[in-house]
Amino acid sequence: MTETNPGPSRLRPTLLPHQRAKILPTAVLLIGAVYCLIPVAWIVVASTKSRAELFSTFTFSPGSGLLDNLHDLFAYEDGRYGQWALNSLLYAGLGSLLCTLISTVAGYAFSRYEFPGRTVLFYTILGGVLLPGMLLAIPQYIIMTKVHMVGSYWSVLLPGLISPFAIYLARVYADASVPLSTIESARIDGASEYRIFGTIALPMMLPGMVTIFMLQFVGNWNNFLLPYIMLSDESKFPINLGLYTLLSKGSGEPALYGIAIIGTAVSVIPLIALLLFLQRFWRLDMISGGLKG
Amino acid sequence: MASVTALLSSCGAITGGDDDVVTLDFWCWGDVQTARVDAFNASHPDIQVRRTDAGGGNDTATKLLTASRAGNAPDVACIEYQTVPAMVVSDVLADIADKTGPLTDTFTEETWQLTDFEGHVYGVPDDIGPMVLLYNKARFDELGLRVPETWEEFAEVAAEARAADPDTYMATFSPTEFGNFAGLAQQAGATWWQVEDRNWTVGFDDESSLRVAQYWQDLIDQDLVTAEPLLTPEWNNRVNRGEILTWPAGLWSPSVIYSIAEGQAGDWAIAPLPHWEGDSNAVALQGGSALCVTSNSDQVDAAVEFLTWMATAQESTDAQIAGGQYPASLNGQAATAESPPPALTGSQEDYWEVATEAAASTVPHIQWGPNVTTANDAFADAFSAAVRDHTPLTDALRNTQEEVVEEMERVGFHVTG
Amino acid sequence: MSGNSPPRVPSSGRGISKFLAPYVFLTPALVLFAAFLAIPVLYALYLSVHGLRIVDEGVFGLRKEVFVGFANYADLLADGSFWAGFGRMALYGLLAVPLTLGLALLFALLLDHGGSRARRFSRAALFIPYAVPGVIASLLWGFMYLPSTSPFSYLTDKMGLGTIPFLDGNGIYPSLANIAIWGGTGFNMIIIYTSLRGIPPELYDAARIDGCSEWRLAWRIKVPLVAPALVLTGLFSLIGTLQVYGEPKMLSPMTIEISQTWVPVMHIYRDGFVRDDLPMAAAGSVIIAVGTLLLSVGLLRVTQRRTFGGFQ
Repeated sequence: MTETNPGPSRLRPTLLPHQRAKILPTAVLLIGAVYCLIPVAWIVVASTKSRAELFSTFTFSPGSGLLDNLHDLFAYEDGRYGQWALNSLLYAGLGSLLCTLISTVAGYAFSRYEFPGRTVLFYTILGGVLLPGMLLAIPQYIIMTKVHMVGSYWSVLLPGLISPFAIYLARVYADASVPLSTIESARIDGASEYRIFGTIALPMMLPGMVTIFMLQFVGNWNNFLLPYIMLSDESKFPINLGLYTLLSKGSGEPALYGIAIIGTAVSVIPLIALLLFLQRFWRLDMISGGLKG
Repeated sequence: MASVTALLSSCGAITGGDDDVVTLDFWCWGDVQTARVDAFNASHPDIQVRRTDAGGGNDTATKLLTASRAGNAPDVACIEYQTVPAMVVSDVLADIADKTGPLTDTFTEETWQLTDFEGHVYGVPDDIGPMVLLYNKARFDELGLRVPETWEEFAEVAAEARAADPDTYMATFSPTEFGNFAGLAQQAGATWWQVEDRNWTVGFDDESSLRVAQYWQDLIDQDLVTAEPLLTPEWNNRVNRGEILTWPAGLWSPSVIYSIAEGQAGDWAIAPLPHWEGDSNAVALQGGSALCVTSNSDQVDAAVEFLTWMATAQESTDAQIAGGQYPASLNGQAATAESPPPALTGSQEDYWEVATEAAASTVPHIQWGPNVTTANDAFADAFSAAVRDHTPLTDALRNTQEEVVEEMERVGFHVTG
Repeated sequence: MSGNSPPRVPSSGRGISKFLAPYVFLTPALVLFAAFLAIPVLYALYLSVHGLRIVDEGVFGLRKEVFVGFANYADLLADGSFWAGFGRMALYGLLAVPLTLGLALLFALLLDHGGSRARRFSRAALFIPYAVPGVIASLLWGFMYLPSTSPFSYLTDKMGLGTIPFLDGNGIYPSLANIAIWGGTGFNMIIIYTSLRGIPPELYDAARIDGCSEWRLAWRIKVPLVAPALVLTGLFSLIGTLQVYGEPKMLSPMTIEISQTWVPVMHIYRDGFVRDDLPMAAAGSVIIAVGTLLLSVGLLRVTQRRTFGGFQ
């Protein structure tokens, strides 16, 4: 198997007669699309319902409480929801950005240098993919308390900076996008190793970095266990932990169900928009590249 | 970027403040705490309390155990009575017996015993949940039902209700409500744990508990009650449609039903919990929590001052009553006489009389065990399985007993009988 | 791992820099790896051979951490509910993994199929669930399952068929698997789809001229060529299944089917955070980690032989 270049360079062959629009494949795709959209449609509809309507009207008939719900959401505990959203942006945005940089540098080193310990180090790090989150969360909590960071932003941000899978991906992308000959000729021209990385390799790996960033972003955005264990102060919660808290309190104070539902809708929609926008920059085909040969 | 760094660094700091102002960290759930803490801070310039809502009773207990082992538990925390012994065994709580002498007279003996074990005092009772029968009076009147005084009558009325409206059930038996079943069993005379000189006896399958289990088994078998978890959207719907007539539960129950069925404000009322024929009308407590000082705290004096104020000051107990809690202290309970009833039971004039009566006749000496959480989930799993598979609830109780004893022995408790 | 090995770095004048550079580049990752993965794993191993036991102190006895050897492992391995959790997890995984991958492959092939219409819309729609956090997805589906809020049960009820028992009896398995399928299909589809787009179109033209039908083309040429992507997505689905926790945990308040120990990770969570027995939880986590390792190595061995054998 050889590395191939997907995307724009590929030419679509002109349609042959038997390739005309077919009903069956289109129908199957549309069924799949509807299946994926139903729960999202539900949350959008549910967020328009007042508390009384939520459990008493047909699930897909819109309600009359959208504005009230929005008001309740942003008024809850003096704008706590906005705080959660900012926290999520911090954990997911800043965390993923740093993680992408660290992983890219590491992946480049594994890919483009041969040095003693390379194989051992790489497989040791890659083995981290197999560790259950629960296994790590318990000792991570204890370590964080030893350094007096538990309950702080750092306690969630720092463990998220290391991702074995991101390093693996960065290595695959570096293998594919930074030719050794380019590095060699830069060396001959007298460029330092750091300069070669910064000005030559990094730009070449940029599409791969976008992919790593997006995967990390979604991963951190969805991360539940770590903040759940590390944080006890609600004002430092990320958004999904905040919504979970609303729901678990909701069984005692079901008024919060409504806030949780509109909060879910408001949090999901921008993420969907972002993913759809960035989809075109993804290089997910490379994920399986390293398994070849 | 700079602002983000500032944000991060400001959060790593441990505590701040002036030298002469003591800062107490306080973990407690519930909106009612906000007003109480604000009032305390306003009247105590030398002690400032920072409250954190660490989730409900279970979540707070879980986090407290972990934080305590790490040495950074808050100074004061709310702990549900049933969890207090487990916290003592894990060395989370400080013994404050030498500082609470003047307080004992402000509580009934039954209430004080919830946090006083053989002279060691591990907290001050804050709110209690004496059990009552919360019932939908409007629907009772509509269906022509009488309010049952005994459990035998309760079963009869349940049958009448089913006959009057086939969609309606007298009550719900929730297989996951450990505290509720515990209260019903304790009312019948059950003693699930007893301890003397660190020797434990465990009795989930004692005669009284088996009797209560058999009673509910019969109601389920005759389709007189539903058997399902409470407060699911499904159950809330039934309540809203008036299809669940009663909820035997702690005195906090009106505020819970109000939050899911606001439209029924004024329709409900409370009555004394039914008792067994020939028994006294004493009831058990369901829920409620104590204010406890942790062993990690190095501000014990200030902490005791805070929890004394919380449990007894009128400003504090008034806020409790307004928020739907029933105060544990006698002066707080006395203040209810001047308060309006909760919204759900808004048209019941003798609400506080019934409540005070229930609080005054609670069963004495309820002892909780050191592994209530184990018992809780063993109970919930066994009872859920029994309801699902239609196997006897009495067997589920025996399974719970077995699992609780097994775990206590495994970790090294002396268990006899 | 990589096909083309870089040449050895010659030791010339700038050799020090070349020699040191990879280590400098790796420093941040290695420091973080040690702090947040390696040390925690060692600590978990240490913890797993300790236990909290009661000593005769205080009013009820006090819990102290002592060395207990392999007692935690022995207790877990002898615990029927831990193994029952593995059984339920296997049943759930047998539904969720093949269906997720099968659907992902099907949709990827359809998106790549010249005859399909509405491809941009479908691709976007199929991908949307990936943006919904698992906790939230479980809750959304929970509302879709509860008889009083379920639109599906509403319809069947109106038709006189009664409500659908999504959360009762064995219905819980397909209901839970569905959440995983809903959340996982789109992401896996994109991985497979982008791999398909990487196949040179000339490969198909020859086959078409030979009169190969689209389905034969898909089975004989496309699927084998994206096999590495399938193996990888399979591996991740497998790891995900072993760690399944959030979905059953979120649904548990809505049904009596799901116990506290329904799957192994729920068992671990209960031990560690409900029963406050972190050493037992650490032992459980180690068992899961070893299991994951064995299964992953096994899967890669088997598939590598089948998938890549012809190319090596």
